[in-house]
Amino acid sequence: MPLKRQFICRLPNGVHARPASSLEEAARGFSSELILFNERTGRTANSKSVLSIISADIRFNDRCLLTVSGSDEREAMAALTTFVETTFPECDEVASPSPELNGTFHLPHSLRRSSVKIFNGVPAVSGVGRGCLLQMDGFKVPVTLRLTQPDDIAAEAQMLEGALQKLGGDYEQRLALAKKEVEKEIIKAHSAIARDPEFRNFLFKAVKLHSRTVAGAITDAERHFSGILAGTDNALVSERISDIQDVCVQLIRQAYGDAAAGVAEPSLKTDTIVMAETMTPSQFLSLDRAFLKGLVLGHTGATSHTIILARSFGIPTLTGMRDLAGAQLVEQEAIIDAYAGALLTNLTDEAMRYYALECHGRSERQARVQRFALQPATTKDGCRIEVAANIASAEEIAGAFAAGAEAIGLFRTEMLFLDRKAAPSEEEQFELYSRVVVAAKGRPVIMRTLDVGGDKALGYLNRPVEENPFLGCRAVRLYRGCEEMFRDQVRALVRASARGALKVMIPMVAVPEEVRWVRKIISEEQSRCLAQKVPFDAQMPLGAMIEVPAAAFAMDALGAELDFFSIGSNDLLQYFMAADRTNAQVSSLYNPLEPAFLRFLKQIADHAQAHEKWLGLCGEMGGQAQFLPLLIGLGINEISVPTPALADLKAEMSALKLVDCQNLLGRALGCATADQVAGLIGNFVAANAQPLIDSELILINADARTREEAIQVAVNRLYGLGRTKNSRAIEEAVWEREQTYSTGFGHGFAIPHCKTNSVLASSLVLVQLRAPVNWDSLDGQPVRVVILLAVREADGANGHMKLFARLARKVMNEDFRARLEAEKDPEKLCEFLHAAIDP
Amino acid sequence: MKIIAVTACPTGIAHTYMAAEQLEKTAKKLGHSIKVETQGAMGIENELTAAEIAAAEVVILAADIAIERPERFDLTRRVKVPVQSVLRNPEAIFAKL
Repeated sequence: MPLKRQFICRLPNGVHARPASSLEEAARGFSSELILFNERTGRTANSKSVLSIISADIRFNDRCLLTVSGSDEREAMAALTTFVETTFPECDEVASPSPELNGTFHLPHSLRRSSVKIFNGVPAVSGVGRGCLLQMDGFKVPVTLRLTQPDDIAAEAQMLEGALQKLGGDYEQRLALAKKEVEKEIIKAHSAIARDPEFRNFLFKAVKLHSRTVAGAITDAERHFSGILAGTDNALVSERISDIQDVCVQLIRQAYGDAAAGVAEPSLKTDTIVMAETMTPSQFLSLDRAFLKGLVLGHTGATSHTIILARSFGIPTLTGMRDLAGAQLVEQEAIIDAYAGALLTNLTDEAMRYYALECHGRSERQARVQRFALQPATTKDGCRIEVAANIASAEEIAGAFAAGAEAIGLFRTEMLFLDRKAAPSEEEQFELYSRVVVAAKGRPVIMRTLDVGGDKALGYLNRPVEENPFLGCRAVRLYRGCEEMFRDQVRALVRASARGALKVMIPMVAVPEEVRWVRKIISEEQSRCLAQKVPFDAQMPLGAMIEVPAAAFAMDALGAELDFFSIGSNDLLQYFMAADRTNAQVSSLYNPLEPAFLRFLKQIADHAQAHEKWLGLCGEMGGQAQFLPLLIGLGINEISVPTPALADLKAEMSALKLVDCQNLLGRALGCATADQVAGLIGNFVAANAQPLIDSELILINADARTREEAIQVAVNRLYGLGRTKNSRAIEEAVWEREQTYSTGFGHGFAIPHCKTNSVLASSLVLVQLRAPVNWDSLDGQPVRVVILLAVREADGANGHMKLFARLARKVMNEDFRARLEAEKDPEKLCEFLHAAIDP
Repeated sequence: MKIIAVTACPTGIAHTYMAAEQLEKTAKKLGHSIKVETQGAMGIENELTAAEIAAAEVVILAADIAIERPERFDLTRRVKVPVQSVLRNPEAIFAKL
């Protein structure tokens, strides 16, 4: 008697590849038949086949019927019910979009009325690249291969079986060699397709019943499954077409050999932008990345594996580029502008100069930031605060130290535990933890013990569903229930402590008993190591996260057991304010600037200082410039942030004085509302902003051929000095103003200006041009001197505006203009400007 | 001649003040008395009083945008000019007053 059960799909993006693989994994071990029926589409799927599940096109709120029949139907139904109710809703993780960009990026103004051809696409990986265009074909079976009427059907079937087996072995080998997590994920997905029962059945049927050759069967299978996926209208599903094609190409290779298959990838010999309707991940990996300057894709969407790879290698990529084949672009020189989402061909001198100049600005900026990155983090008045990185994998560590991390302030060990069927072994953990502490070369690494529960569930722990997971059995509260697994982790950490400066940190501590229990486990494992003569660091420091408010009031009792604390500001704030930041109705309460929260932080910091306990902070608060003065004022020992935020954090810290920060914090603690604190910080930032004029903002003998270039040169300098992160937005704002009427006011002078928050500190840039340029000036004369006024909108009507106004009046004075043009020493010009407008 | 003026431009960063300066310089050169109110990014500055408005023979409105509180000048003779013309040829404006 088959068992039946109805359920409703609660996955917002429907059952795309990832949830489908999880379902297939849950179903695979049972001998019973597990049939899934989607009542909306009327399609039936075999739950043991990823492809079959995907093609049932199950979307959000679709009602489905699961039918189980076979010898182990009871067990299978029980397991799948648990899966559908608990694990399934959490299978839906969409890859993060392109790295955060500040606002919109426009195409350079100068290109709009030039003869450059512009093809628009969707930016998938930001960046700019230049190279020759090359067209690459997607899946294609070589014409030399016979598709039908094999000589011997049995031999053909055997050849197919052999190819499938070799392919399976090949995936296993590649999985063992893959270094990047994304690469592993992709290989796993492909290997799942290769062993998919529906896929295999289709292939064998084609050979045995329809007299197809192996090549013919693969061609049919590719068409069949791609067609089904394309027909689902679900972008996340149709993005998997390239995965199917990838497996088909590999299968042809296995069956016929590389040469016979004739599917060799092009080898790049010069800087190249590759165009393809679709590109398989293997095709991407086969391209020489030294010459790969950009990708222009037709169908591939932002979550496809190829894009994820491109992002991890930093290759500028556009998608949604249709109908390029007809444009006859091959072998043309092109620029990919994946900030603005455009591919440019028919390049003009102007266009090439624009991008070359922009690129120069970027490398200038990088060089500057890098100088800060590699210096110890200190405030302007010499107060040292350790700046550390938050990471979750061994692959990130080299990048973190290169970007200026002085330590690892948070290593999230849970990444190793997620997305797998069983907990990692002690050996696997030991290998990872050792690799990380060895790579840290003596710099401290804080490893946080397993932090799951809440929003991160582990299927293999078989935890019951909780009414309120964030107030439930999370992190340290979980350890007693899975003591053996926790002991494995502790042993791995204790052993790895012999290899480097490893510190252990416990998440979600609320009461001293939790710490005592963990300490006991650690001591027991240390004793065991001692008995077995396994080396370990007996002094390995132990600390706790302060993220449950109760811990902040128990720091004396906790401190007796611990060596250090680290504030987990995200959870601490959420529990302190009893507000979920993802809930739009209450997220305004989730504000680190609430005076009550600041007073709470102050109490924690004071307690740590009074008891000489080391105190760090590893929440998102640490990475945001506006909070930095408050954190410095608190006197914490360390701030740990994501790698990309490191250099900026150091640069910002170097501009602040400890005493000023302490004063600011003192006043903030006395405020009644978060708005008042924000106001204080606004004034503080304005008072501490980089000065309006600086000798580095004065350019003598600048090379610009047009008005557009002169504006770009001036704005680029703002970028180089870190006064903006989006030079295109400033250029755009300047041009918007130029459209009303030219700012060339005559006498060979122009005063372009804009008001935008894309400029981080109000600035004046003075540019003396090597040769005059046309500016459509009021008196028709070309311009020799450009004065760019970039006003930060948020400054409002504060002091800087007064200086700009004074300058505007001064430029009407002939003597003043003569001096601005005659003086060639930036330092002296800077002094002169200061004296004139800010006496 | 007793002249008053208001200057205002789209961003209120540069031309409002450049025009004010130009009007003041030119008036001085031509021997007129002038007071110029600026309506820029800092709001209204050097605000014209009711007495000054009442005493003025003419108000020059050098603005590319709608100015604040124009009703103050309902009883005064008004000359409207674009800001650009103040920068290009201020004496021509005074000549027509």
